[in-house]
Amino acid sequence: MNEFEYLIDNFKQLPVLIKIVWILSGILGVIIINLVIYLKYLRGYLRNKEKIFAKFQSEYEGELINYLYASEEEDATKLKIVKKMKTCIKDKFKRKIFLTVLSKLKNDISGEMADSIQHLYVESGLIDYSLAKLKSSKWDVKAVGIKELALFEITNVYSEISKYKDYPKQEVRNEVQLYFVNLFQFKGLDFLNDLITPISEWNQIQLLEILQKFDDQQITDISPWLKSENKSVVMFALKLAKIYNQFQVINILLELLAHENKDIRVEAIKVLSYFQANEAKQILKNNFINSSIDEQIAFFNMLEGIVETSDEDFILENVSHENFEIKTLALKLLKFINTDRFNSLSLVASDVESKAIFNYLEDN
Amino acid sequence: MSDIEKIVLAEDNSTLSLLLKFRLEKEGYKLLTAEDGKKAIEQIEEHKPDLILTDIMMPFISGLEVISHVRNKLDMQIPIIVFSSAGQEEIVLKAFNLGANDFMSKPFSPNELVIRIKRLLQ
Repeated sequence: MNEFEYLIDNFKQLPVLIKIVWILSGILGVIIINLVIYLKYLRGYLRNKEKIFAKFQSEYEGELINYLYASEEEDATKLKIVKKMKTCIKDKFKRKIFLTVLSKLKNDISGEMADSIQHLYVESGLIDYSLAKLKSSKWDVKAVGIKELALFEITNVYSEISKYKDYPKQEVRNEVQLYFVNLFQFKGLDFLNDLITPISEWNQIQLLEILQKFDDQQITDISPWLKSENKSVVMFALKLAKIYNQFQVINILLELLAHENKDIRVEAIKVLSYFQANEAKQILKNNFINSSIDEQIAFFNMLEGIVETSDEDFILENVSHENFEIKTLALKLLKFINTDRFNSLSLVASDVESKAIFNYLEDN
Repeated sequence: MSDIEKIVLAEDNSTLSLLLKFRLEKEGYKLLTAEDGKKAIEQIEEHKPDLILTDIMMPFISGLEVISHVRNKLDMQIPIIVFSSAGQEEIVLKAFNLGANDFMSKPFSPNELVIRIKRLLQ
């Protein structure tokens, strides 16, 4: 007791600054001890949760395998498993585990077993929880619900999912689009007909990748999408036109050269270039001066594939273009159609930039 | 000396492992499962299997490293079937260059896998 009083007396005699430091040290010490205790508890809690998760996962995996390998004569076994799962999934934690187990296998297995997994998803009532997620006010829950319905190939909720195709949150729209295409293939692209919201660039790539894995590559008519008022739909349709060699839409592509959106005009030139559409050449030449630099570059790139000697005058007009890329492309084309003219221009080139271009083209 | 043919399955999806173990044991094979490449190599070195099934993407040691180890370090010529996912086409080519005999793209049918295993073990 005397020692404690002695310490208190000593503390009172300390300068104010030292007192503050001691008090702060004490407070920090208490905080650190509390944090250490809390972290120890948290680690224990998470490890325990992990153990319980692993235990249930192992149990459900076993049940799932038994269900999948139960023969047609063993209906009672199947019913017993379904009944057990119906009860289990009433608990949110167990439902999550069971859904994880089903999803993991559904992603990796095809054929009859995949159909059985889908059947169990419906029979156990998991589908009802996915459908309930669609009604959630949280966008992320909605997106997860749609993803689950797509994974388990629930096609009869098409109209319900369609309601969210123009949902304000992009992540939800992405899942809706993936649902359509994964489950209905090219027919699923019908959502493009009246889509108001944009399709993200990433999702466009994902949709194209999904479409390419289907055996049936018979694409539906893309003309309405090329005429869409939605810019991203037109851009996506342009990608489809190129990938699926839609030569029959060349006239619409030519109309797109006068589209109000520059990106669409540039992409249209690129697709026409891919098709080596000579019809576009004169239109683009006539509009050349009023075109943006990107369009002009795209046109010169197009000319690389379809250039003729009759284009020489147009090319000569652009050999001194202020844009380096266009100037280079023009000289490259000139070398291709009239080497003598190219060489004569090379001799009179005076500025450093032009000399560098001529030197490069002469060597390549 | 047992006549049962041994297969090592390297797959980090525990549900798929269990399903294949059940299916292949029903076909009369002895299946040794490993949840990552490191354990797969241990199983291969210890049990000298007749065939290896390996996923490409696995923790610690990938399927490619497993193939390389089997072919170059252990100098074993047993058949190897690789499981790949969409978008891993280039890795599958690497797997073939390293010595894989066949591949199956996920999602795959277990029945088809059994047919391929039987063909390779003939």
